[in-house]
Amino acid sequence: MHLPKTRKRGCIASRPYLCAVVFLLACASRLAAHSRAQNSAPVGSQAQTQTPAVEFTDEAGRTVHVPQPVRRIVSLAPSLTETLFALGAGNLLAGDTDYCDYPPEALSKPKVGGAINPSIEQVVALRPDLVLATKSLNRRETVAALERLGIAVYVTDPRTVDAMIASTARLADAAGVHDAGAALAANLRERLAALQARLGGEPARSVLFVVWTDPLISVGRGTFVADALRWAGARSVVESPQDWPQISLEGVFRLQPEFLVFAGEHSEAEQRNLEALAQLPGWRDLDAARNGRFAIVSEAFIRPAPRLLYAIEQLARQLHPHAFALPAPSEQKPAGAPVALGLPAPAAWAGQPHFQEDYSACAR
Amino acid sequence: MRPLTLKRVLWDCGILLALLFLVVIVSLKLGAVPVSMYGLGRDLIRVALGRSSELSSEYRLIVFDIRLPRILLGIFVGASLSVAGASFQALLRNPLADPYVLGVSSGSALGAILALVAAPHLHLSSLASALLTPLFAFLGAMATIAAVYFLARREGQIDSGTLLLAGIISASFLSAVIMFLMTTLPGRDLRGMAFWLMGDLSTPLPASYRWLLAVGFFAAAGAVYTTAADLNLLLAGEQEAIHLGVDITRVRLVVYVAASLLTALAVSVSGAIGYVGLLVPHVMRLLFRSDYRLLLPTAALGGAIAVVIADTLARTVVAPTELPVGAMTAMAGAPLFVYLLRRRLA
Repeated sequence: MHLPKTRKRGCIASRPYLCAVVFLLACASRLAAHSRAQNSAPVGSQAQTQTPAVEFTDEAGRTVHVPQPVRRIVSLAPSLTETLFALGAGNLLAGDTDYCDYPPEALSKPKVGGAINPSIEQVVALRPDLVLATKSLNRRETVAALERLGIAVYVTDPRTVDAMIASTARLADAAGVHDAGAALAANLRERLAALQARLGGEPARSVLFVVWTDPLISVGRGTFVADALRWAGARSVVESPQDWPQISLEGVFRLQPEFLVFAGEHSEAEQRNLEALAQLPGWRDLDAARNGRFAIVSEAFIRPAPRLLYAIEQLARQLHPHAFALPAPSEQKPAGAPVALGLPAPAAWAGQPHFQEDYSACAR
Repeated sequence: MRPLTLKRVLWDCGILLALLFLVVIVSLKLGAVPVSMYGLGRDLIRVALGRSSELSSEYRLIVFDIRLPRILLGIFVGASLSVAGASFQALLRNPLADPYVLGVSSGSALGAILALVAAPHLHLSSLASALLTPLFAFLGAMATIAAVYFLARREGQIDSGTLLLAGIISASFLSAVIMFLMTTLPGRDLRGMAFWLMGDLSTPLPASYRWLLAVGFFAAAGAVYTTAADLNLLLAGEQEAIHLGVDITRVRLVVYVAASLLTALAVSVSGAIGYVGLLVPHVMRLLFRSDYRLLLPTAALGGAIAVVIADTLARTVVAPTELPVGAMTAMAGAPLFVYLLRRRLA
């Protein structure tokens, strides 16, 4: 008795459902058609239609059409923000991420959120001619989303120090500051060569590069940090194929690095933290920790930007003080801050005082 | 109780549809970049009149090219998860069933990840590789729900507590496998861990995928809807349903495949968003009634509303940085669930 009745009602009830379905489908297709029509036009470059775009191939192998001249740039990574300032193009920067803290001028730029999850609409609202992203930090989806909106996105992917320098020069081309890029790249290569001349005969120190202490994160062999360590006369004991591997203290104990290298702000608080860390079980069994063989380098060491050279020099001075005891004949005055020899040297270069000037010197 | 009439269904769905429309308008207005209500209204009217070329470029870009596709995605994901949840609740005759709680979302996510890893090695055409992800997500969902079902079965009966435990065990096992894969594989080309474990709507979809999602949703939800009357009887009792002539095997098969497909579609585009499939059908049962012929459409609309609201919050709470939408649904969903439980017990 019940069944036919129920079934029948089921049929009746399905009619409004169908109506709703048809209505929703109609709405959806209307809106979808609309957004497709929108997407076909490169809207982002609309304001600059007068001048033709220049074609670049970025480091992800993508072809990027950058409208000329470039007046507004949004950077999606701290290293790219730094690079722009180092190129003397900080005035072109229309916005950057929450993590862009160097140079201090970068802090006052409009923010678009974090590097991994920026607000796309905030980027668009800044009306950039060019958005800079880096493969190791930004997500592919973010790049794809901006690309679909017709915004030129240039992606960098430096995996070595040399690549970082070349990348800086190419980025300068894309941003329309070719001369500054060439000058900066030449300066950086010179400094690298001078450093190599100084460290020529020195044996490489085995080091554990500590990105983060809890959990213990180090660097993999394919990263620019591992390469930067080689330039500083060091060799990372971690040989992971991952970029930022989480490693165990036990593994470190087996490898017994000569030095522990920490990336961070060089302050007294940091120094105390390290001393406390060296007392912890696990850490205190490391020869390097027992003997106080720490090196603290600027956070610039983990940012593939021109300031990396400064951090490399800073580390080289700590690992190979003898090589720096005598002035090298071929070398000009070292560009970094005056650094106290010996280890560890708290707060000696906490503010990295002269580097900003160094930047402007390069850009001129 | 008065019988369910066409008028009643239309009214209830109409109310929810109006609410969804309102939520969409508010969601279009809110975001990291301020948009005036007046400008938005003017532009919406222009679009409605088919004069979209007159839009100011800023509004067009931010409101119609960034926010609108995301809201539409949220609508489909919410509706899919919610209908999938309601279907699993009927299929397993358990009010606490949900794609996320049962581990089906995690199984789906694992399938999608495997497809993304395998795709570059298979030399497929672009269409085939686009279809590979939802297909593997679908297989993952089907395998997980089957595993959970057989884990929970004892002497031909499904014990409610065992079912939930089996679901939780599967979910945590599969999440662990996902974490393992994300850490060991060269994951640069995969979406982040937070995406697969928490859900995220920030990634815009290619157009072909949007159509796949729409067609898949309507096909699967429609299939479940054809069994709505039988599901009502099934919920009253298996034996009773058999005596009343319900082809239990067929109904189960349809609901099993359709609900897995709905979960897979949602997960392959947005990751594992939790609690929507659990809570929305419950709220709809409280607000309207638990007749599946009414529950399925109201749950679809309610799920859409819930996810659009959650995603709007995810976009705006700590703007310009964005939260994963799954964090919002869990934060709002868990307390609401406790409230519902207490109310039921009282």
